[in-house]
Amino acid sequence: MSTAAPAPAARLRRIAGKLLSAVLVLLVAASITFFVQLLLPGDRATVILNIRNGRDQQWPAEEIAAINHQFGFDRPLIVQYLDYLAGLLRGDLGTSYTEFRPVTAVIGAQLLPTVVLTVGALVVAWLIAVTVTLLTVRRGRILGGIGAAFEAFTASLPHYWVGMLLLVAFAVQIPIFPVIGGDTPAGTVLPVLTLAVPLSGFLGQVLREEFHKVLDQPFITTARTRGMSDAAVRLRHALRHAVLPGITLSGWALGALVSGSVIAESIYGRPGIGQVLVTAVNNRDVPTVAGIVLVVAAVYIVANVLVDLAYTLVDPRLRIS
Amino acid sequence: MTRPRPFRRAGVAGLGLALAGSVLAACAGGPSAGSGTRIEGGTLTYAHVQEPPCIFGGWIQQAYISRQVLDNLVTLDTDGSIKPWLATSWEVSPDGLTYTFTLKEGVKFTDGTPLDAEAVAFNFDQWMTTQLNGTAKVSLDPYYRAAEVIDPTHVAIRLNAPYPQFLTLITQGYFGIQSPTALRTRSQAENCEKPIGSGAFVVEEWRKGQEVVFKKNPNYTSWPATAKHEGPAYIDELRWKFVPDPLSRYASLTTGQSDVVYEIPTVHWKDAQEKFETTIRYITPGKPISFYINTAAGVFTDKLVRQAFAHGADRKGAVEAGFHGVIPYEGNPAMSRSTPDYNADLADAYPFDQAKANALLDQAGWTGPRTPEGIRTKDGRPLTVRIIYGAGSFITAEGATVLQALQEQWKQVGFGVELIPLTRAELNSGRFSDPTTYDAWPSYWTSPSPAILWIVWRPTTPEKPNGNNRSFYNNPELARIIDEANTSTDPERASQLYRQAQQIISDNAAGIGLYTQNTLVAAANRVKDFWLEHSQGEPVFSDVYLVQ
Amino acid sequence: MTVLARSSSVALGRLPRPGTVLAGGFVALVVLAAVAPGLLTSDTPTQIDLTNALAPPSWEHPFGTDEAGRDLLTRVIHGTGLSLGIGLGATGVSMALAIVLGAAAALAGGVVDTLITRLLEVTFAFPSLLAALLIVAVFGPSVTTSIVAVGVGSMPGYARMVRGQVLAVKESGYIEAAHALGHRPWRVFRQHLLPNAMRPLVAVVTLGVGQSIVWASSLAFLGLGVPPPSPEWGALLDAGRGYITTSWWLAIMPGLVIVLFAVAVTSLGRTLQQRLEGAAR
Repeated sequence: MSTAAPAPAARLRRIAGKLLSAVLVLLVAASITFFVQLLLPGDRATVILNIRNGRDQQWPAEEIAAINHQFGFDRPLIVQYLDYLAGLLRGDLGTSYTEFRPVTAVIGAQLLPTVVLTVGALVVAWLIAVTVTLLTVRRGRILGGIGAAFEAFTASLPHYWVGMLLLVAFAVQIPIFPVIGGDTPAGTVLPVLTLAVPLSGFLGQVLREEFHKVLDQPFITTARTRGMSDAAVRLRHALRHAVLPGITLSGWALGALVSGSVIAESIYGRPGIGQVLVTAVNNRDVPTVAGIVLVVAAVYIVANVLVDLAYTLVDPRLRIS
Repeated sequence: MTRPRPFRRAGVAGLGLALAGSVLAACAGGPSAGSGTRIEGGTLTYAHVQEPPCIFGGWIQQAYISRQVLDNLVTLDTDGSIKPWLATSWEVSPDGLTYTFTLKEGVKFTDGTPLDAEAVAFNFDQWMTTQLNGTAKVSLDPYYRAAEVIDPTHVAIRLNAPYPQFLTLITQGYFGIQSPTALRTRSQAENCEKPIGSGAFVVEEWRKGQEVVFKKNPNYTSWPATAKHEGPAYIDELRWKFVPDPLSRYASLTTGQSDVVYEIPTVHWKDAQEKFETTIRYITPGKPISFYINTAAGVFTDKLVRQAFAHGADRKGAVEAGFHGVIPYEGNPAMSRSTPDYNADLADAYPFDQAKANALLDQAGWTGPRTPEGIRTKDGRPLTVRIIYGAGSFITAEGATVLQALQEQWKQVGFGVELIPLTRAELNSGRFSDPTTYDAWPSYWTSPSPAILWIVWRPTTPEKPNGNNRSFYNNPELARIIDEANTSTDPERASQLYRQAQQIISDNAAGIGLYTQNTLVAAANRVKDFWLEHSQGEPVFSDVYLVQ
Repeated sequence: MTVLARSSSVALGRLPRPGTVLAGGFVALVVLAAVAPGLLTSDTPTQIDLTNALAPPSWEHPFGTDEAGRDLLTRVIHGTGLSLGIGLGATGVSMALAIVLGAAAALAGGVVDTLITRLLEVTFAFPSLLAALLIVAVFGPSVTTSIVAVGVGSMPGYARMVRGQVLAVKESGYIEAAHALGHRPWRVFRQHLLPNAMRPLVAVVTLGVGQSIVWASSLAFLGLGVPPPSPEWGALLDAGRGYITTSWWLAIMPGLVIVLFAVAVTSLGRTLQQRLEGAAR
């Protein structure tokens, strides 16, 4: 990252360039998904007929032909792709093969629960990580060791093991939270924790390491010699610097959380993109899968813009001019 | 609006004992159940497993759910007899080729369209000519000819040949009648999400990935003769939730968050029976979970090897242990014990006998030097068996355990069994339709009629392939016997032929029995008069009332 | 020597030494189980005894028995090889891809760099679950597909790191010096660039092995993992999940083994990282 402030025109050009490349990334992601699915062995008409009838077999040629015609699968691939691409540019993500609804509608209803789940998990993970780090880092070998061990332990937890244990503990044995809470606030707590606990371990490890480095910096020593209290040093100086790599990690984590969300969704009977994605891949619902990739990629890009922003906000060196 | 209804079971006499026969039910009847005071209306939460893409269609998951909104022409009673529903009576022509139904008068779909002969005929056309419901189609092919409107309350279904199983088959949820206005004028998406029927409930909202919310149809007039009460549903709302995780699903019942739960894991069945007054074990009729044995390619082209395979492992013992004694073993590979004309002689076909299995394999020439793993060989080729199975929804975790137990025993007689679970995507792709891709495939097919034999075992011909004949077993004699049974107007004769067909399948080990497909449900104690209909165990909520 | 002394003191300060010893011991045990499971147990992992199903932990069966009466400890031990193989294999796959892409981007620069960086951005934006779903959809669940699915899913992160490291080394003076000395580019890459760029990544790779095993167990939950009766750890955990309220050991024991192994590998990786950083300083 350069510290020099670009001229306004250059900055505008840079933003335009970034936007353009973002759109390109989206189109490429959707196109790759589209083609990969078409090139997989097996054909879509068979899958559609099997889904409709709860079967797992081959179908007579005339039945396949009828479906191919109905959905336009008998057109050349390139035509189907251009058709899809033209739709994308109009904001039309296509129509689900199995639900007959526009993909935007299929995804639309599921997006919010997933965003709540993943963003919630990210926030909670940060809270846990920052708290544990602040309380234990450089507090002597025992406390520091406990903190590090806690992070190593939580970072190693498989999502669904956490989900299952939380469910049994706090929904079955001690029924504080609902077992199948859907997307209600009370039903969101355990799914969020399911994703947040392992993530907090990762964040904590990064935070702790940075904290160590920062606390060795001369300006910390200066602050201390000026008589600043330990708490103040940690909160006002060290934390601000130590969170930077964690912020970068958060951008990456959002992508991973989407993958993890399907596990939380399936354990707690929660709606969301993850489950739709699994079903759509199984059903060879090409436009739905491509649509989800598009949306997730868009969220990812936005998240990374936010990460950049957060970076400049937190790191004073990047804000100088 | 909701008039208080007499707390008396109306309806057909003898229905008090509703769930008999194949159904082992501990139903809350009478005061002994300690039932509390009755509540008017209320909301019932039902936890189901799989969420279909549309409410109506040819998948059993769709039959379960569409029954809540659609009515059929006729319904199946527990004794196997056909009872009136939308049709108050019907008449079969002497040649057995025409079924004339008299429809209940004044029935309307929830969009106001009259449910008349034209509507019924339109639905038959839809099933047989569009590709939206292949299960309805495969059930009536090739006997169905046409539906004909006689007058608004009379519709005639004409057949190509007598087909006495016709009435039994159309009791399944795949034959629910939808509003022709809705089908004609609304988009496919609308008909997928909110089909319009004349049933006890209407789809209010489908929150995908979570639940379908049904509201009661206050103008319901067309309950089946098997209903436990006359009139609209007692409950105001039915929340049909999708909870794929078995642990969560059962826990939702024990913690009081759901009222009725489908597919109780067998490990919790005893607990459920202790805790809840209503637990129902319904043995699904049709083809049980039995092995299709690939007779077209691989080691099982030799009948002796198939028979050795059947004798080689203790299928009965493994099923009883693997399912904690809850789900019964089924030795008849062709039909489960709850299907009419079931051949009970086959219930213990091919008992566990490894000496016999070894003798058969020796006879078949699998006497080459064994591989280091102890697998038999013949001409240098190992006796390897690939068993593929749909993991999760078709073969549950318990079923997979049973297969693993069998795998060990088969090894003792020299079979090298490979277990290959198939994911949903692989099943959907249909790519395991080729005889080179597997040797055995445990799977089931629900049907209330012995005509299931025709669906599954009809030979594949070049002009009419049968994708359901997973054993690739083309036996013209078997086909002739089943066809004759299907079209025989003499029930005695038909029954005898169906039994004979099962015998042929078993004797040739074209299939090998394993266990029955079951529906295990439990209901919270505040739920009364919950039942499963008899054709394939579709849950019925239109008679349910709640107590405090 | 002084470097070594210094780095170990750093490690001492951050991670308690007994912890490292414990972690090392556990990893050694796991490796032993993977290489020679017969040394740790004389039973076979598929020995079924339906009459003794779901027996709780005891002296005879320290981890209890499963729903088919198999000794769970024996299964865990015999599953080690597979799980470790998946962890190492997946990390290998992702590192191999990452080195090819990352190094190519950093070395070629220009259009190639832009293209690869964009491609990595796309793959980053791709939910790694989707890659796994698609791979398993094509090839069916198996050990190999688990390795590939997990490996491909974690590739983008490594590729980005490799690119960064290679760039840093490339810009350092002595590579230029090597070029100036007339060394062939391939030799420069192999002898100077790659080793120097990879050294800081060794620890990351160690961490990756543990994470890959955790990831693979998630695939098992989705029915995309190694098929039964394989005692792969994720498969064991998945098979036990239905019994958590009735026979807790089936879900707890394999879970604990997975977590403890990942923790052990992680702490070893951290120690290694600190030493390497110490050495670099």
